[in-house]
Amino acid sequence: MPAPVIALKDVTLSLRGNAGMVEILHGISLEVGSGETLGLIGPSGSGKSSLLMVMGGLENATGGTVEVLGQDLTSMTEDQLARFRRDHMGVVFQSFNLIPTMTALENVATPLELAGHRDAFERARAELEAVGLGHRADHYPAQMSGGEQQRVALARASAPRPDVLLADEPTGNLDGRNGDAIMDMLFGLRDRHGATLVLVTHSNALAQRCDRVVRLTDGEVSGEVARAAE
Amino acid sequence: MSLSIAARFARRELRGGLRGFRIFLACLALGVAAIAGVGSVRSAIQAGLSDQGAILLGGDAQAEFTYRFASEDERAWLESVSTAVSEVTDFRSMAVAEGETGAERGLTQVKSVDDAYPLLGEMVLDPPMPLSQALDGNDLPGAVMAPVLADRLGLSPGDSFALGTRSFTLSATIVTEPDDAGGGFGLGPRTMVRTSDLEGSGLLAPGSLFETEYRLLVPEGTDMDALRSRAEAQYEGSGMRWRDARNGAPGVARFVDQLANFLVLVGLSGLAVGGIGVSAAVRAYLARKTAVIATLRTLGASRRVIFLTYFLQIGALSLLGIAMGLVLGAAVPLVFAPMIAGALPIPVIFTLYPGPLAKAAIYGVLTALLFTLWPLARTEEVRAAALFRDALDSARGLPATRFVVATGLLVLLLVGVAMVFSGSPQITLWTAGGILGALIILAVAATGIRALAHRSVSAARGRPALRWALAAIGGPRETAASVVLSLGLGLSVLAAVGQIDGNLRSAIDRDLPEVAPSYFFVDIQPGQIDGYLERLENDPAVSRVDTAPMLRGVITRINGVNAQEVAGDHWVVRGDRGITYAATPDDRTIVTSGEWWPEDYDGPPQISFAREEAEEIGLKLGDEITFNVLGRDITATITSFRDVDFSTAGIGFVMTLNPTALQGAPHTFISTVYAEPEAEAQILRDLASAYPNITAIRVRDAIDRVAELLEGIGAAIRWGAAATLLTGFLVLIGAAAAGTGARTYEAAVLKTLGASRRRILQSFALRSALLGAGAGMVALVAGILGGWAVSTFIMETSFAIAWPSALGIIAGGVLATLLAGIAFAWGPLAARPAQVLRARE
Repeated sequence: MPAPVIALKDVTLSLRGNAGMVEILHGISLEVGSGETLGLIGPSGSGKSSLLMVMGGLENATGGTVEVLGQDLTSMTEDQLARFRRDHMGVVFQSFNLIPTMTALENVATPLELAGHRDAFERARAELEAVGLGHRADHYPAQMSGGEQQRVALARASAPRPDVLLADEPTGNLDGRNGDAIMDMLFGLRDRHGATLVLVTHSNALAQRCDRVVRLTDGEVSGEVARAAE
Repeated sequence: MSLSIAARFARRELRGGLRGFRIFLACLALGVAAIAGVGSVRSAIQAGLSDQGAILLGGDAQAEFTYRFASEDERAWLESVSTAVSEVTDFRSMAVAEGETGAERGLTQVKSVDDAYPLLGEMVLDPPMPLSQALDGNDLPGAVMAPVLADRLGLSPGDSFALGTRSFTLSATIVTEPDDAGGGFGLGPRTMVRTSDLEGSGLLAPGSLFETEYRLLVPEGTDMDALRSRAEAQYEGSGMRWRDARNGAPGVARFVDQLANFLVLVGLSGLAVGGIGVSAAVRAYLARKTAVIATLRTLGASRRVIFLTYFLQIGALSLLGIAMGLVLGAAVPLVFAPMIAGALPIPVIFTLYPGPLAKAAIYGVLTALLFTLWPLARTEEVRAAALFRDALDSARGLPATRFVVATGLLVLLLVGVAMVFSGSPQITLWTAGGILGALIILAVAATGIRALAHRSVSAARGRPALRWALAAIGGPRETAASVVLSLGLGLSVLAAVGQIDGNLRSAIDRDLPEVAPSYFFVDIQPGQIDGYLERLENDPAVSRVDTAPMLRGVITRINGVNAQEVAGDHWVVRGDRGITYAATPDDRTIVTSGEWWPEDYDGPPQISFAREEAEEIGLKLGDEITFNVLGRDITATITSFRDVDFSTAGIGFVMTLNPTALQGAPHTFISTVYAEPEAEAQILRDLASAYPNITAIRVRDAIDRVAELLEGIGAAIRWGAAATLLTGFLVLIGAAAAGTGARTYEAAVLKTLGASRRRILQSFALRSALLGAGAGMVALVAGILGGWAVSTFIMETSFAIAWPSALGIIAGGVLATLLAGIAFAWGPLAARPAQVLRARE
């Protein structure tokens, strides 16, 4: 059996808040195969986003191991994690997180520039065309609608051809029509590039498009459903 | 590669515009402008003195003798190296005019000239006439006089007056005297006569105190350094002092230099205050950039790229601020050139001077680096997880070690550069220590104020406006620290200046009159001393009379080595010094070490030297001092040190010799008289009538003259301190503006809960006033400490708190923060709660 792309073993996450330590994740073990689409669902505060962030090395697990593409993220420094993300991951956020002083083209080119690609802007332009925003390349985020901003964020996440795509409620700030369009694009990009996709969502419709859905409750896996093979 | 990516990202970030950086730019610009402006004016004055050096000196070079004229041989040598020579004497005397109510007397600084004067420049008289015609007079020899003296004596052109036993006709008043500023500080206004007309006046008798200056015009292309060497060799052992036009007015130049250095140090304190504003602005800006930084981290940017991106961006903005400051600092003196030139009695050449601008730029760059490094270091701590939660919250200790080390090095570099540029390393160190000390005190005070406010919240229950104000001050935001630090430092500088100024005035106005004599009488001939004492000793209004023989000499060598090589620029070896002799020490003399000579001592010359000055120069018992009196070198051994208190304005000599050392040297006596104020006028009349050659200096007038000068210096320093305070005010406005968002939200919530706008405004006003009062009180303590230190260790006077200045500082602090707080309260009060709270979601 091929090795999993993402392997979590007994992962715990505790964070210090104003009222003291708060345990977010309690001993989660989970594997995600290559090319698989995993949906994370659960009520607010169940730890879905935190689990996604741990997978992406955006949050350091307090205990357990997090292996992505065979590499142990828990032993990496912040800069090593940043480089790993640069080379292997794309992240899409609920609130887009585009850089306001950069144009759409520059936003998409940023991860490619960080990786030292000489053709960063050419590739970025192609990605923008692929999401239907080639004509908005020189526009700033403030000049775009929410749907357009999320499309730019998608292009930015997929431009480096990541092995893993992480999406945290990508349609959370969008209306129904735009949300559907974004999800179509996200799954389309996943299909084209063969990336492994992990997706946090409140939407049942979206969850049903995933190969597997894991339910989280109070920081623990409380259920798992695999989509029946077609 | 990191640098090129960071540069690209920085350029893009700069597209965000200058929003949030206006105060940053203003603080840097103002600090740099103040230093650049002071430096530019100093350069303008130095250029003027250099350009007009020959006119200020009265020639290309000058040979000066004390007490005597040049001998024939000496004069011949001067004529052999020059194309023209002019002989000028300078001395103090009393001008006496007979008025309707009796004789009017005025102290005057007399300049007697020959027909060659002036060699350079032009005398302008009123009524207009050539100087030679004015000095010709008619029946009596002519004279010209400063208008203020003519007014005081009630003289108009055509009236007569006396100098010594000679009478003169006032021909005109002086409008311009070309070499006036080159002479330095004088106690009496000018009178000018022909030297040949002073014969028989009793004023230039042997032993009288006068300087003779021989001004020379030398052939074009003369090597002045070589000429100086030749002159010094030619006149070795004669007591001659040489000066040339490259330093035509050394006293003025030195004064301007020291004042400018001091003002630059005040300007540095302004930059320090500005630095606080710069730091606060950068911190606020980077806090707004947390999401962007976290996003870049998510996309794979290393900490180095992030740090460099914002370092380059802030660096570019700093350079902009510094450039603005340089433009302002260069332009303002040019714009106000006519006004400044009109106010100064010395030549000034206003143009662009790159030197001071470069120094100001260096100060600006170092200050910007120092105050932005720690906030920039924080960018390395922003983690990608900050997009989801406040990943920067609690532990905000020191940044990484390399930044702490870099900051320490920058502080040392800034202080080191200031020490080199200012030319006064000790004062610079004290100033840097003072600023650092004040910042530490203020930082501790800010923490204390917040803690006190936090603890006092519960005590303010039932008074909502006060409770909200205390909660806001004691809450987890940094606004309080910014306000206390920036305004506090500006107020501290002003408070210290106010305390020093107040105590100096008190020392002059309060302490000095109690100990100072009523009169100094000089040029008392040996044959007159008995009659002089007889007049005074029988006067019941006279409480004390001190007399001492006086000669003037120049210290030429110390232990056989050139005096200036040993003592540097110490005032004792600069110019001529008063020297006296005494067989026994008087009862006020305290010999601190060594031994006074026996009363009938007849051996080799011995000196009792002033202890404090000896320590400053590094003299010890047994050292030999060679000084020149009337062209004769005398070498004496230091056999004792004694305490000399010059602050009493009484008689005090740095050097006292045994009587036989100066045997035969022509000299006069000086005397101080302590009398009741009502008796002063009669004493002056009696002595001046009996001895017209004696000069009387009314000590109160001299003190007033010095006080006038100090007032001018004090005003300049107060302007400098005001610039610091203005910067502090800018930072205060910045802090007030930065808090607008939080106050808007607070106001919206309070309104929702039922608070009236009046009550909310009261709370805002209270928090501003409390912060301002806190900053003012801390500034007052810092200012009092600074004032005490300067009064005790530098001025060596007693210290008392100058309360009007002190209370003014506190009131100023409260008013400034109140105004800023209220000005920025209207926006938050006017915002509609629903809009504010919805936007927050």
